[in-house]
Amino acid sequence: MNAKTLERRFSMERVALLVRNRIHEEAPAVGIVAAIVLVNNLLSLWRTRQAFFNTPRFHGGAWIATIIVGGLFIAGSAFKSMHDGKTGTEWILLPATPLEKYAAAFLDIVVAFPIAASLGGIAMSAVLALIGRALGGAGGDLWLPLNVGSLEAWAYYAIAAAVFLAGSASFRKIPILKTVGVASVFGLVAVGLLMAGAWALFGGKNGTTMHTGHFIGDLNFDGSMVSERAQSAVRFLFDIARYAILPAFAILFGMAKVIEKEGRDEVQ
Amino acid sequence: MMNIASLDFGYGRSKLFDHLDLRLEGCRAYGLLGLNGAGKTSLLKLMAGALVPSSGTITAFGRVPAKREATGLADTAFVPEDPWLPPVKVDDYLARYAVFRPAFDYARFEALRRDFALVEDKSLQKLSYGQRKKFALAAALASGSRSILLDEPTNGLDIPSKMQFRKALAESIAPERVIVVSTHQVRDLESLIDPVLILDKGRLAFELGSDEMAQHLATARVSSLEGMQVVHAERDALGWNALVATSDAVGASSPPELRSADLEMVFNAALADGGRLKAAVAGQELGPYSEDSTAGRN
Repeated sequence: MNAKTLERRFSMERVALLVRNRIHEEAPAVGIVAAIVLVNNLLSLWRTRQAFFNTPRFHGGAWIATIIVGGLFIAGSAFKSMHDGKTGTEWILLPATPLEKYAAAFLDIVVAFPIAASLGGIAMSAVLALIGRALGGAGGDLWLPLNVGSLEAWAYYAIAAAVFLAGSASFRKIPILKTVGVASVFGLVAVGLLMAGAWALFGGKNGTTMHTGHFIGDLNFDGSMVSERAQSAVRFLFDIARYAILPAFAILFGMAKVIEKEGRDEVQ
Repeated sequence: MMNIASLDFGYGRSKLFDHLDLRLEGCRAYGLLGLNGAGKTSLLKLMAGALVPSSGTITAFGRVPAKREATGLADTAFVPEDPWLPPVKVDDYLARYAVFRPAFDYARFEALRRDFALVEDKSLQKLSYGQRKKFALAAALASGSRSILLDEPTNGLDIPSKMQFRKALAESIAPERVIVVSTHQVRDLESLIDPVLILDKGRLAFELGSDEMAQHLATARVSSLEGMQVVHAERDALGWNALVATSDAVGASSPPELRSADLEMVFNAALADGGRLKAAVAGQELGPYSEDSTAGRN
């Protein structure tokens, strides 16, 4: 970094440095999880000549689920240092803007971590397949993220990560549990309001109901609606809410919390 | 260079600063003194941008610290009383954190590292309090920042390190740099901090330069306070340790041996006998000194 870069209001170079630092900080914990999975697979190899990582059952998405849960866990504690009495002041005064610090956390969790974890998964799968074959087993199928994941799943993960980042920026203590609690309450209230509105507009007479599978899942209609057009309109509004309003709110809220954070010593 | 105007700040309902005004110039190491809870650390954090004023303004080298722009943050080095350091070794620290400061002087850091005899091959988090403090001070003094804000820098330093720190701090004084040192250990830095800022009840009670003190104040050990214009006096087993108005002391019937004004005495005088200190510094005649006045807040 040079003096010219320093003058920029927003610098991708600073963001990249912050992402790199975050990766360094997270690496030990991620490494431990990967090591546990590897040891379990080596035990599985020793007993069955095939690592469960390379079985079709595992390909059903267990590693993807691990990445998602791991990523959301990291997102939920992304701003832990910012809240801490001792590390907080150092965190705040590191020469990068609050916006860059938030952007770095977001890019780390939404882009860098899934890519690194996927590449790690591929590498682990390849190593286990080679060892399996060397031991006389079949080796199994190589784990490839695109076989089990999807862009839509990644989008859901990114939205959830934004929500957990906002929770991490807001809550000093047990941010993950508090985020889950607040998100659940908001989700229930939102779905309740949507269903009540839809029932008031379209239901009653025709006995229409609708439900969602989960808070960012598909909106399904059962029974007869007034019209296909009305159904499309509700679906459109629901998509706007989950793909635009929810992530935009979560990102802006999280950023605002990071910007307003102060390095106070006393209990807040 | 650094200007504080009508600063209001507090925690919850308790107000710490009430319309505080302060102007800091370069080429000086300001000593920030005050009782526990007077707001020294908070003021340093406000100057650094870690805290945001309730009202009023702070500008440092034309920038508002509370905006937390990268330029302003890189131009500020704040060392807290108990500095936190990441669990990395020195070289990793430089690669990961010093890189955010383009003006960081790596050669000076190396020199300070040697002078402070810093442990090299150990995680910074595993260092002793004194070692962590020395590391943080070395990093701050080598940061190239124009605002250097140090909170109780000599706490935890061994005696040789205090000497090294004084040397390093003296070398860091520059026309385009404001250094503020908050301390209770005034004797550690007596020869270095000038002027002294004394905070009391949310305001700047005194700003005293060394010239001003040398001209108007002195410390004397006497058996009796009679015949002297005493600013503040503290009784001990041998008699009195008195802060006196210089001209009067010289004119006393039996002139005591005068020493330069002791900063601890000046600080105590500011809090317990503020009116007398103001009058002495203004060259005004002081009324008779009452022993009862020493039973003030100290």
